[in-house]
Amino acid sequence: MTERRPNRILGPLHDPFWHHCDREQLALQRCMSCEHRPWPPVATCEQCGSDSLRWEPVSGQGKLLSWCRFDHDYYLGAMPMPYWNIVVELDEGPIFISNPSQLDQSDFVAGLPLRVSFQQCEDEHGPFRLPVFGPLTPVTPQS
Amino acid sequence: MAYHPGQNIPIPETRYRDRYAIVGVGETDYREDYRAAREAAKSGVQHQNANTVEALAERAFHRALNDSGLGLSDIDGLGVSFLYGGYSAGEMAAQLGVAARCTLACSGVMAGPIPQAVSALERGECHTIALIYGVASQSKGRRFGGQVHQENLAPSSYYYHHPWGWSSQAAHWALAWQHYRAQYDIDEHALAAVSMQLRAHALMTDHSIMHQPLTREGYEKSRYIVWPLHLFDICLVNDGAVCLIIRRSDQSRDLAKTPVLISGWGEATVTQDKMKNLVVHRMSDQFQAAGQQALDMAGVTRDHIQHFECYDASSAHLVNHLEGHGFAAPGETIAGYERGEFGVGGRLPVNTAGGMLSGSYMHGWNHVAEIVHQLRHEAGARQTPGVETAMFSLAQTDQVHPLVFRRGEPT
Repeated sequence: MTERRPNRILGPLHDPFWHHCDREQLALQRCMSCEHRPWPPVATCEQCGSDSLRWEPVSGQGKLLSWCRFDHDYYLGAMPMPYWNIVVELDEGPIFISNPSQLDQSDFVAGLPLRVSFQQCEDEHGPFRLPVFGPLTPVTPQS
Repeated sequence: MAYHPGQNIPIPETRYRDRYAIVGVGETDYREDYRAAREAAKSGVQHQNANTVEALAERAFHRALNDSGLGLSDIDGLGVSFLYGGYSAGEMAAQLGVAARCTLACSGVMAGPIPQAVSALERGECHTIALIYGVASQSKGRRFGGQVHQENLAPSSYYYHHPWGWSSQAAHWALAWQHYRAQYDIDEHALAAVSMQLRAHALMTDHSIMHQPLTREGYEKSRYIVWPLHLFDICLVNDGAVCLIIRRSDQSRDLAKTPVLISGWGEATVTQDKMKNLVVHRMSDQFQAAGQQALDMAGVTRDHIQHFECYDASSAHLVNHLEGHGFAAPGETIAGYERGEFGVGGRLPVNTAGGMLSGSYMHGWNHVAEIVHQLRHEAGARQTPGVETAMFSLAQTDQVHPLVFRRGEPT
């Protein structure tokens, strides 16, 4: 099911991220000079200043660091209220703010292993695939 | 380490220590203005006497001038710090009738204007400078968070995560606090102790906005903004202005009030991995680096600090300040609040006028004004007895900028 979402930031700096998502790949920039992995995207490396940055897929796995629930409707009706956000520390090091998938509040515990999946969404710019995170171990149907 | 010292302000140097002093302070009527704006909003009619930032600034300026005992002709420098637009320093000087030899455009929040003024005074650009901060966000109906943003101005974490529904300053503090809770196994409603203490301070302060007592039950029943943060964990939004008048300390001895010496400052800015640094490390490297700069410049140690004011965008952020600067052991801030250690009469009174949570949202200028009152020993019921040295700590999501002040010779 397609979910309506607030608008992405788009442009030459940002589009490669969403193009990777279209292929169900989570990709981040990697600095060719110092190996730093910035997120959100940068034009020059925030660690060494190099402009030699390349988009490369990451494993899409990480662990849960923190979580919060929006009760105040900052997006004025654009999101069904309330909703959860999670902070994932990717295995490659960067932290990634996302939404939980197939996870309830009772599942949230620091260090929980997580894996990326892609939710079909649309905003004013059109359809896109949004990286969200669920349990690393697939959820088995209740018998 | 991921910070740049001295990026936006003069490098802290001991030659500036105690050389300049705050000799006048003026604030607007936070509580009355807040109530008037609320009444106007409720009645649905256009607020006839809506505060303009210039009118607020003028009021604060005249109060500061009167407080200092100086005359209009004594002021020959003017810095303005209008957060969301307003007159330039030159236009404001003309409005006030100040013959300004020097004008400064200061950053909006209390992150640099005082060192910048000291620098201008040291260069001989002026003799006595008035710094004015003003904001009319309540009257303008300014909203915080959400899709509206100025891409070139906002820090990236603030606006980048819209497709996931993540936005707002409050959400930054919610994530940092939730991480801390998990790390130290802290109760969901533990911040009640912080919010209640600041409310108790506001009740001792005539001009502070919130004037109803806050109980634990009242805190727990208040709505969530971004769980686990309640309404009362998030700062106020209100109109107001603050003016500080600064000149050389040795020319401040015969004025109306005890001078408050500018003793030290520091600065550390996060330059990479901003969210990780905030959520996981709570900017501890930046607090330690900038705090040490300020203490070293002032020639004091942390143990000399008897009164502490810090930028409380959220109650959760006080935890970051207190543990970051080493005023509380890691994981111990809440227990300290529950024991009354950070209240008036405790071992280190913090945000004694109610801060931005219960006092007034003047972006750190309210905190410096309170330090002036405390160091002059004129803070009434909330006075820290015999306070000689105080510290202010500004920290937003990506910068830390502390100031150290000392009480000058009484006039």
